[in-house]
Amino acid sequence: MVLRWNLVNGGLALVVLSLQFVLAGGGTPVSAGSGQPPASQTGEYAGEATCLGCHEDKAYKGTAHSLALKERTPAANHGCESCHGPGKAHAESGDPALIKRFTRTGQTPAEGSDTCTSCHNRASHALWDGSQHFQRNVGCMTCHSIHSPKGTPQLVARTQQELCSKCHRNVTNKQYRFNHMPVREGGLVCTSCHNVHGSTNVRLLRAGTTIDESCTSCHADKRGPYLWEHAPVSESCITCHDPHGSNNDRMLVSKLPFLCQRCHVTSRHPPTVYEGYLLQNSSNANKIYGRACTGCHQMVHGSNAPSGKALLR
Amino acid sequence: MRNRFVTLTATLLLISRAGIAQTPQAPQTPSAAQPPPLPATGTVDVGGLFTTIDGDEARFERYRDTRDGLFSSFSLNRQGASYLFDANATHVGYRDQRYKASFIGRNVDFNFGWVSLPLNFSYLTRTPFATNGNALTLDDNAQRAVQGPTFAPNDGTAVGVPCAPGAPPAACGNPTQAAQAKANRSIYNTIATPFDLQYRRDTAAFGVTYEATKAIDVDAKFTSVKREGQQPWGASFAFNNAVELPQPIDQRTNDASIGVSWANPTAMFRVGWDGSWFHNQNESLVWDNPIQISDFSNGLLPPLGPYDPSGYSNGNGPAQGREALAPSNLMNVVSATGLYKVPGRTTINGTAQLTDQTQDAQLIPWTINSMINNSPAVIAAFPHLARLPRPTAEAEAKGVNALLNLTSRPVRLVNFTVRYRYNTRDVQTPIFDATEYVRFDAVPEEIEEGFSPQFNTTRHILDANVAFTPAHAGTIRVGYGHEAVARHGRGFSDVGENIFRASYDAYSNRYVSVRASFDAGRRRGEGFVEAESGNDEAEPVVGPGGTQPTLRYYDEADRDRKRGSLLFTVMPQDSVDVYVQFAGGKDEYLPDSSVPVSRPGELFGLHDSTVRSWNVGANFHPTSVVAVGANYGRDKYGSLQLSRNANPPPDPTWTDPSRDWTLDNDDATSNFTVFVDLLRAIRNTDIRFGYDYSDSDNAFVHGGPRIAALASIGQFIPLPNVSNTWHRATADVQYFFTSRAGVGLGYYFEKLDVSDFNTIDTNGPVGFTPATGDPRIDWLGALTMGYGNRPYTGHSVYARVLYRF
Repeated sequence: MVLRWNLVNGGLALVVLSLQFVLAGGGTPVSAGSGQPPASQTGEYAGEATCLGCHEDKAYKGTAHSLALKERTPAANHGCESCHGPGKAHAESGDPALIKRFTRTGQTPAEGSDTCTSCHNRASHALWDGSQHFQRNVGCMTCHSIHSPKGTPQLVARTQQELCSKCHRNVTNKQYRFNHMPVREGGLVCTSCHNVHGSTNVRLLRAGTTIDESCTSCHADKRGPYLWEHAPVSESCITCHDPHGSNNDRMLVSKLPFLCQRCHVTSRHPPTVYEGYLLQNSSNANKIYGRACTGCHQMVHGSNAPSGKALLR
Repeated sequence: MRNRFVTLTATLLLISRAGIAQTPQAPQTPSAAQPPPLPATGTVDVGGLFTTIDGDEARFERYRDTRDGLFSSFSLNRQGASYLFDANATHVGYRDQRYKASFIGRNVDFNFGWVSLPLNFSYLTRTPFATNGNALTLDDNAQRAVQGPTFAPNDGTAVGVPCAPGAPPAACGNPTQAAQAKANRSIYNTIATPFDLQYRRDTAAFGVTYEATKAIDVDAKFTSVKREGQQPWGASFAFNNAVELPQPIDQRTNDASIGVSWANPTAMFRVGWDGSWFHNQNESLVWDNPIQISDFSNGLLPPLGPYDPSGYSNGNGPAQGREALAPSNLMNVVSATGLYKVPGRTTINGTAQLTDQTQDAQLIPWTINSMINNSPAVIAAFPHLARLPRPTAEAEAKGVNALLNLTSRPVRLVNFTVRYRYNTRDVQTPIFDATEYVRFDAVPEEIEEGFSPQFNTTRHILDANVAFTPAHAGTIRVGYGHEAVARHGRGFSDVGENIFRASYDAYSNRYVSVRASFDAGRRRGEGFVEAESGNDEAEPVVGPGGTQPTLRYYDEADRDRKRGSLLFTVMPQDSVDVYVQFAGGKDEYLPDSSVPVSRPGELFGLHDSTVRSWNVGANFHPTSVVAVGANYGRDKYGSLQLSRNANPPPDPTWTDPSRDWTLDNDDATSNFTVFVDLLRAIRNTDIRFGYDYSDSDNAFVHGGPRIAALASIGQFIPLPNVSNTWHRATADVQYFFTSRAGVGLGYYFEKLDVSDFNTIDTNGPVGFTPATGDPRIDWLGALTMGYGNRPYTGHSVYARVLYRF
């Protein structure tokens, strides 16, 4: 334990030392979107009309970016050049190197994202830097298109599922499982639970700071706290459930009663071999079919009954 | 239908020109260069919906409403110089209707949403219970016929629950008794009435953001969720009879939040408050016992009576049961989130939150059984049952949560991130003394460890990664993480995990992209909590909670984890991509060598679990009007768990390895999807087609000496595989006569074949006997509603008129 705490403390020290390093101007200073302007942001502006003279297909009408009276929008500032940087030199020479381009080969994803996060840095975007997608070089333009989106909001794919499946097909396929969230029916989308831009929670979960807090943000009836708690429930719902879909009832990671038997190896009925003979010839069948263990231990998420220690009442 | 028509009319009025005319006018523009407002655009989509379903209709509809009727959806979008308005209504008037509206203005953004989401369990269900508020009652005459005039076993002339007291047999343990029980149907089978088992969740959400200054925002949100209906629920009287009934649901959750944020291009700070109130109209449930109309009494004194000390087992129990349902509760969260960018492409961001969850619901009494509650002799023998230790739950859990990220790209070649996360859950609920309690409303008992636990948890998670990006050669990332968890009330008091990871991402080549990752984790626990053996030198007789001493709870046990993923995409042209995706991993749960009771071969619980997922697919969009794509996926899951079928010590079976058994659970799932979009590829016509397929085969294979022993005496029958095959096909054709007006024809098909032994049809468990699709509510040991997993085939057709403006 001492060793572990030393590791944690060492990590914190690393954070502090790193901070001192960068605050002292360590490394080669490369301008940030908010610090010193990059080379492409120096120079003179050409004006939006000039841009659209050649790039008519790159307009952004009909989007929030185009609201000229909203003072934070590109339209209220330098138009196209709010994001692409001053373009007079580019307009005059036609040299693509003289303008900031958000293409696969033009910039790294992080560099492209710096432009976006110079404005989109609060609410759901506040924790983008350092987030899981950020670390894997997923940038804003990986998923969004300002000028030719196919889906909402400004997505490069028609739907969120289609977009997320480009990398997470093993997860999005689970919506086709026998038991699933209402994703394939359109009742939920990936971002109903996840904030792909970085979150306060693990696994980019949108709500709360723990998996339980995320799940109980909708399933508040499971929130408790209860008089009698079920230890794994109070720690993490996904110990027993797969929220992306499962072939087991109630999206369980295994079928009842076998899931419960992964831990409840005590005496008498919990570790009984529940198989076909009992199912067809015994009153113990009621521990296999229907609700199985939760036929009696129905308060498996926690009980508020004084006699509820075994989650029976 | 009438409601749907009224709602449809209201919606049409809302989007009429009069409605549009009342949309906010743009304020005076600061410059003369403002463009004129764009004309409103939108769609009107009205027609008929026609559905036919064979089999389990509710399963086909699961989260939808596909009843025949008037189908209508609308959308409206308008942009002015200073505002953007967007609204849409979908499936107006149905149980799955949705409405959304958003307004983005000069200083105020506003959004509203209404979503109705049904959950249809079954329309094949039947129940003999009548619901009155939170009380579910049975027909008195039926209960009386089952119980009979005395409390003697098998005194009744009717069967209430097969294998329970009433008409014989009173118990089932062999094929002869079971055959008799299957033949003598429950009296409740004849009086059970059909009903639709379903509930609906209605969510209304309002959000507003006010831009007070260029730097300061005030945001607020309110969401109210109403959940109403019924869900399948267990309400049991223990080993003699399990009961499944429709639990009445009447719940509302109100969530509110407000925050103030300040930001400029280099920094952001927000403070906020979130509140959540959950109210359950039914905090308890009372239900009749199908085999007892009066509380059992043998006229004896404790410890022999007046209750039957074996009443939870032999059926001599109460006339009613009572249980506590989800309690109303409250959560408050105060949070602060910050972001600061410093030179060197360095960002620090983080959040800190204080959480308080409270629940103070009125506690139900120890039992509803009058033979216990009203007996001075029982109270004298169990004085703790005279009153509750406290009248309300007084439950509370406090949380402190923090996250700090530091990320920096000091040079273009290198990026590093360091993350620290802290979570603590501190249970403040006073320990509840239930050392005397009532089991299943049938029997008062004493239990030494009858004190409520306080599952406190504290986590520290540190994560550090360094990434190198040589020019156009992709990014190589290596990282290390450590998670330290301190627990109270579990098997281990301290658990630590070291995680090493590496990844490679090549994303800038126009022809090929690669994303690969691998991580390995090593989790070890310390401070294993052992039950007292009475002899410190001896091996403990039992583990925590009375378990086998070498049990490991898999959510905290020592574990070695390996996971990896690969995404390889080839893009020979801009219009084509072909990909292969793999994701897989293995978790191995290990004995802890530091625990003295660990012995080779005596490790119980989950041993390992594996997952392998492969996907291959391609997308092709040769022109802007044609898109085609297909994917095939194959997932395999496997797990191995070990248990021992034994009686508690000093019974020798407790340590008898010949009582050990294993379970291999293997689930193989295949998926296939294909879509074709032809949007104006044919003159004035949009065509969309999609097909999705999923097939699963889930095997449960028992092994070990206990299984061999059972098989040798003819008392083991392997479980059949649980399988399902699902198809969905959708087609939508829209033809526009003019640029605005057209017609549409949509088709939706879904088919499910499923075989699951825990579903009981007329002839018994499906898989052992052929499925009939006709549920049986009175199988061995239980009285259910017949809810299960059954096949269906459904077709829906949408014929409609389309108008775009």
